[in-house]
Amino acid sequence: MNIDLLFKIAAIGILVAVLHQVLVRAGREDQAMMTTLAGLVIVLTMVIKEISTLFNTVRTLFNL
Amino acid sequence: MEIIKIVGIGLISLIIIIMLKQYKPEFAIYASILAGVLILVLVMDKLTGIIDLINSIASKASVNTKFVALLIKITGIAFLSEFAVSICKDSGESAIASKIELGSKIVIISMSVPIISSLLELILKILP
Repeated sequence: MNIDLLFKIAAIGILVAVLHQVLVRAGREDQAMMTTLAGLVIVLTMVIKEISTLFNTVRTLFNL
Repeated sequence: MEIIKIVGIGLISLIIIIMLKQYKPEFAIYASILAGVLILVLVMDKLTGIIDLINSIASKASVNTKFVALLIKITGIAFLSEFAVSICKDSGESAIASKIELGSKIVIISMSVPIISSLLELILKILP
C-alpha cells in the first residue's frame, strides 16, 4: 500500500500508449487494440486488489 | 507527518494523471481511483482511535450503545458512497454519481428506522 503502485500504473499506461502507436504505424490496428485491452485488464486487476483492501478495512472498522 | 504523505501522494498522482490523460485517458481514471484509495487507507488507522473514543464516551454517558453503533455504521456508508460519488463526478459521469448518492441515502434511512421509531415513542411518552 505505497506509492510505487501509482508509478507502475503510469509506466504501464505509457508503455501501452507507445506500443499502440508502434503497432498502428506498423499497420496492425487489431493487435494495437489487443495490447491496449491487455494493459487495461492488468491495471484493472491491480486497482481492484487495492479497492478490495480499502473495502475490507472500512468494513472491519465501521463493522458494517 | 501524515499530512506530508497525503499531500505528496495527491500531487504525484495529479502529475501522473495529467501526463496519462494526454495519451491514454482510461489509465488516468485508474490513477485517480488508486490515489484516492491510497490516501484513505493511510488515514484509516487513525479512525480506529476516534471510534473507540466515541464508544467509550457513549458508554460513559449511558447513551444507548445500539444507537451509537448504528451512527458509526451510517458514517461508514456515507464515507464509502462519498468516495464513489466523487470518482464518478470526476470522470464526468454525474448521472451515476447521483444514482449512487440516492442509493446510499435510501440505505441510510432504512438503517435509521429504529432510531426514528424510538424517538417517536419517547415523544409520545413525554406528551401528557
